[in-house]
Amino acid sequence: MSAGFLMFYSVLVLFGMVLLGIYGVVTRSNMIKKIIMLNVMGDAINMLFIIIGYRLVYPVFPPIYEGHLSFEEFLRTAVDPVPQALVLTAVVIGMAMNILLSAYVIQIYRLYGTADVRDIAQLRRGGR
Amino acid sequence: MKRDALVAVSFLLAFVVISYAVTVENVLGLGSGKLRPLGEFYLGHSFAPGGMTSHSPEVVTAIVWNYRGFDTLFETFVFFLAIIGTLSILRLTGDEERIVKGMERAEPHRHMDLIVRVITRLVLLMIIAISASIALHGHLTPGGGFQGGSAMAVAALLLFAVFSKFTLERRGLTLGHTLGAYAAGIAVILITAYVPLALGGRFLQINLLPGEMGLFNLDVGEYLAVSFGFLSVFLILGVSEWIFKRVLRGEVR
Repeated sequence: MSAGFLMFYSVLVLFGMVLLGIYGVVTRSNMIKKIIMLNVMGDAINMLFIIIGYRLVYPVFPPIYEGHLSFEEFLRTAVDPVPQALVLTAVVIGMAMNILLSAYVIQIYRLYGTADVRDIAQLRRGGR
Repeated sequence: MKRDALVAVSFLLAFVVISYAVTVENVLGLGSGKLRPLGEFYLGHSFAPGGMTSHSPEVVTAIVWNYRGFDTLFETFVFFLAIIGTLSILRLTGDEERIVKGMERAEPHRHMDLIVRVITRLVLLMIIAISASIALHGHLTPGGGFQGGSAMAVAALLLFAVFSKFTLERRGLTLGHTLGAYAAGIAVILITAYVPLALGGRFLQINLLPGEMGLFNLDVGEYLAVSFGFLSVFLILGVSEWIFKRVLRGEVR
């Protein structure tokens, strides 16, 4: 099994996870499940970015210049740092978004007694 | 049911199309072993010997705070908005807060048994040390403020699970104090961003500061902001559910 095959395989699995996440967000009616699927989708996208930044060369190093190599050697062997920097930003924003969403859902559950979007819509239409 | 099947089939079709594009057409350019031009520029310029430098051998930190500083600064503000939004959704008035305090004091004091507590203390020490090392060496080794702060948030969650919210509050980690530390982190970031203006440079031009000071300060500020931001949200989420519900519905006066 070559490294190239593994790379394509994992990229396909991750695309499948992204689609699965969108499917879950669209079809589930419980908001907690929606949040979980949103996380599945977000993590799959982040992982996809990292894999796209990987290089299929044999000695491959993180993008840190420690002086153990010559500079040309470093340029030849380091992975792409741009996707890693983007993912670093996306992960923190994902965590912050998670906190905000879960606070909303907790408060909705406390007020309505359910986290199901259909029930909440019915409660809002029926009551008041 | 028919609609669900339609959705599922359309997602499967999308997956087939994407697989075709990725494997046969190779739209992502996987497996070539070549760097993209942008990545090559950053690798070649961020710590090049003899040339211009961003004072950071770690290229990811160089991109995050030096080349794309505004991006990261406004990301910090997005994080700030999320934390403040959460706190304002879950806020209580002064009277309600006093009622919650009283009810919490009346609750029986619970914690886990001795083995769990001792092991947790040891693990906690290690987590805090590692997160500090991740954050303070952010510009030299893999890591940075965000990563260290996230590791620290794990330590806070562990504390909540094993001890209780009251133990933290008795040790002085009340909501006011954690929010103060959070504000201190934001202040460190803002001051570091504004100081280059006084030195005759532009906003966020941290290369004007001596050596690695700019990157170090920003990392420390981010570490404080992320870890204490999460901790303050956990503190307000840690109020017992039944207490919060009773106060919310106005059953106690």
